[in-house]
Amino acid sequence: MISKAAIAHLQEKLGEKNVYHEKEDLLVLGYDSTPGVHHLPEVVVYPTSTDEVIAAMEIARREGLAVTPRGSGTGLSGGSVPVKGGMVLCLTRMNRIVEVDEENLTATAEAGVVTLDLFNAVAAKGLFYPPDPGSQKISTLGGNVAENAGGLRGLKYGVTRDYVMALKGVLADLSVVSTGGKSVKDVAGYGFKDLLVGSEGTLGIVTEITVKLIPPPQAKRTILAYFGDVRTAGEAVSRIIAAKIIPSTMEIMDRATINCVEDYVKIGLPRHMAALLLIEVDGHPAPVAEEAEAVRRVLEQVGAAEIHVAENAGEAASLAAARRTALSALARVSPTTLLEDATVPRSRLAETFAEIERLADKYRLKVGTFGHAGDGNLHPTVLCDERNEDEMKRAHDFYFELYDQVLAWGGTVSGEHGIGMAKKEYLARQIGEGGVRVMKRIKRSFDPDGIFNPGKIFDEGDSSTRPHVEEGFRVSE
Amino acid sequence: MSASDPKGNFKPQDAPRYDDVLQCMRCGFCLPTCPTYALTGRERSSPRGRVALARAVAEEKLEFTEAVKEEAFFCLDCRACTTACPSGVRAGEVMEICRSQAHAFYPLGKAGKAFREFILRKMLPSPELMETSMLPTRLYQRLGIQWLVRHSKVLKLAPEWMAKAEGMLPDLEKPLRTQLPEVVPARGEKRGRVAFFLGCVMTLMYPGVSRQTVRVLAHQGFDVVTPAQAKCCGAPHLSEGDRETARSLARFNIDLFLSHDVDAIVTDCAGCGAALKEYEEILEEIEDHDRLALFRSKIRDISEFLAEKGLRTEGMRQVKTTVTYHEPCHLCHAQGISSQPREILRRIPGVELREMSESSWCCGSAATWGLKYSEESRQVLERKLGNARQTGAEILVTANPGCQLQLAWGVRETGQKQEVLHLMELLGRAIPD
Ligand SMILES: Cc1cc2nc3c(=O)[nH]c(=O)nc-3n(C[C@H](O)[C@H](O)[C@H](O)COP(=O)(O)OP(=O)(O)OC[C@H]3O[C@@H](n4cnc5c(N)ncnc54)[C@H](O)[C@@H]3O)c2cc1C
Ligand code: SF4
Ligand code: SF4
Repeated sequence: MISKAAIAHLQEKLGEKNVYHEKEDLLVLGYDSTPGVHHLPEVVVYPTSTDEVIAAMEIARREGLAVTPRGSGTGLSGGSVPVKGGMVLCLTRMNRIVEVDEENLTATAEAGVVTLDLFNAVAAKGLFYPPDPGSQKISTLGGNVAENAGGLRGLKYGVTRDYVMALKGVLADLSVVSTGGKSVKDVAGYGFKDLLVGSEGTLGIVTEITVKLIPPPQAKRTILAYFGDVRTAGEAVSRIIAAKIIPSTMEIMDRATINCVEDYVKIGLPRHMAALLLIEVDGHPAPVAEEAEAVRRVLEQVGAAEIHVAENAGEAASLAAARRTALSALARVSPTTLLEDATVPRSRLAETFAEIERLADKYRLKVGTFGHAGDGNLHPTVLCDERNEDEMKRAHDFYFELYDQVLAWGGTVSGEHGIGMAKKEYLARQIGEGGVRVMKRIKRSFDPDGIFNPGKIFDEGDSSTRPHVEEGFRVSE
Repeated sequence: MSASDPKGNFKPQDAPRYDDVLQCMRCGFCLPTCPTYALTGRERSSPRGRVALARAVAEEKLEFTEAVKEEAFFCLDCRACTTACPSGVRAGEVMEICRSQAHAFYPLGKAGKAFREFILRKMLPSPELMETSMLPTRLYQRLGIQWLVRHSKVLKLAPEWMAKAEGMLPDLEKPLRTQLPEVVPARGEKRGRVAFFLGCVMTLMYPGVSRQTVRVLAHQGFDVVTPAQAKCCGAPHLSEGDRETARSLARFNIDLFLSHDVDAIVTDCAGCGAALKEYEEILEEIEDHDRLALFRSKIRDISEFLAEKGLRTEGMRQVKTTVTYHEPCHLCHAQGISSQPREILRRIPGVELREMSESSWCCGSAATWGLKYSEESRQVLERKLGNARQTGAEILVTANPGCQLQLAWGVRETGQKQEVLHLMELLGRAIPD
């Protein structure tokens, strides 16, 4: 429990308005977008510089508080939920874009910059930052780095890791690390940068990020294909890849998702269709035209029910925007939306859909599936009610069995949302006990006292780190 | 109290529905659209945070504390979050309901109660009283603003509110209600018959605007019936958390308007339109559903109505000018009306529409919010004026009296060279006598 003196000290170092310790603030800073997980911190700080991060960390260390970094709290595996209370260190007020370097094609930004803001700032200079998670209009770069976030363009352009050139951060011993740089190549020692990317806030606090930029594609074609059944859509994806075409985007939505999204966006999506694929090819104008034609041919061959080409950039943008709302829109239907992040080799897509259908039937669940089909990354989402215990149990069994199959096919339990607190039990199944032991050793060498984001990624056999914790308010007077 | 709709620490009367707060999946899509979050960067002042607070109260994790009350009133009720939310959560409305909870938990002191009695329960529900109180002196003197001066501490109005309230008032003419004939006949080929809902602020402060609205409707081929007995729509009551009076006003207006045989009930005040469209919800448990649905199906904002019927432009005069359009929250977010006013603007001969960025961002007026949080309101307004200025348009058009007051005051204060007009005033200029 935090002392009043410590709060006063934090206020002195960070300014009163950057330190929250009242119940109402703590209550709304102990969740992210993951259903069913919530835990109150004892204090929340909003540093505005790396120095203030160090100052806050110093007090946390002295007080013996765990420190959980937080961006915008859009994480989908409970990463920023402070399961052990302590301090939440929120980076959203470190939101300056430091530099856009047009000579080296890089941008440097503080960790709290919103993904879309960076995209727009570099676009204004004729450059392109591709990673675009569905949450881009509010997720932070720090959160993207910590989760190694993917996005709609991942298929052709890769994920956040592929763009991180340098990181600056604060480690558990309060030292500042700077790893990587603007040089295109760098093999000096171990790849710290690559360890920090995807570390989910368990190894250190990222304060500044330098990313690679590329020139934007000159032309783009957006194609929308409808299908009478989901498996055919899955097959279409596998075949497009097998035809050696790499679209920038290949996103799928099933009937349930189409209907929820249409309820919100009202742009005339086909409610009666079993699935749709949103496909985008981009690059130089001539190859784009050829690729679009090739995609159309494959779609015709597999028997897509309808094929449409977006008339203009505006229509294409509204289709992509519609896709981004999929998860939130699904939440319309039921009080609770449990989503998973199963990822399979792309040749297995059609079978995965069949398996999802079979299991949804078996466990009598309502499931909506969407995702980055081109990456083999699906988000089967159970639409349920957390108040219904039996249903929650069936949902759990559904995922458990689904992951058996996904792993058997050489897939992964998380394509992009991370392990956090929600998927710890699955991780051990995937990488084995030995794998988990190595990861724990890495964690310990960075953070011997375990102060950063405890209870995430692996279980430490401690009851306070169970996945579903709801706890009352606690702060000492 | 049912198990599936627990009220928890809320008072049972007028509590947010549990399912409505559970609906939020905390995706944060609403955060970048919320003006109070933009101002403070504080989660509890964001839609996601506010819904979470309400949920915590319902789940008995939190009492209905001062801070919850504070958030209920700090929320602009601009409904930008409703537009942004893919899950259909309506954080603004949840906060509106929390305002009435706030009154139940923190009964007003004597002064506050007297204010409520006087303005919300006595003045606003009675058109006659409001008019006599206004004449011959300026509205604010009798409407209790002097009285407010004495009690501004109790009401927690910001220190500069008085100068602002005074500076905001337009030059007042005679209220329109007493001058408008009960029926104004259609001109040209007749297309139908409509009832006009003349809002309090319109008749008292902007009679010139509503006069144009009636002229426009007649010119477009509609007989216009304006029932003089109409009472306040109830929006101020909903906004101040007096749902009881709002309901009784709603029932009165429904009876009155359904007694007229008209195709539509049209208003030129976005705030009234939003409230009228909410009658169905606030009376859900006490009124006949068919009547509610019938009433709801007839309500139209003037731009919505004209766009639906098609604007007849033959014989219109040229209005050579450039305009930019500010979307009232209660039009675009509360009613989802965004393209229609633009469609009308584009069809007025000679008018060039220049879009401003963030056109649907609140102007910071939001009923009495602008008086309670005058510094925050100024910041929100400055953002809006900057965007309007950048277009270089001659006229700043909007479609709601609250916005018009705030924007007109803003351009006057800052010396910005833009005329502020209601869409109907501009359209009125195109209509031949
Ligand atoms: C509707 C919706 C759509 C989404 N779509 C996608 C998608 O397409 N692809 C995808 O990959 N993800 C997606 N996500 C998940 C989520 O948006 C991403 O994981 C995102 O990167 C989280 O960013 P954040 O700023 O919200 O971080 P938070 O949720 O606040 O934190 C996430 C994790 O990062 C850590 N962290 C945050 N900042 C720092 C920092 N500066 N230093 C160290 N650790 C830090 C936290 O401790 C936590 O473990 C989606 C989420 C939603 C709600
Ligand atoms: S209110 Fe809607 S947009 Fe905002 S966090 Fe909740 S679900 Fe998302
Ligand atoms: S109504 Fe407006 S101010 Fe209130 S929470 Fe929604 S966006 Fe924010």
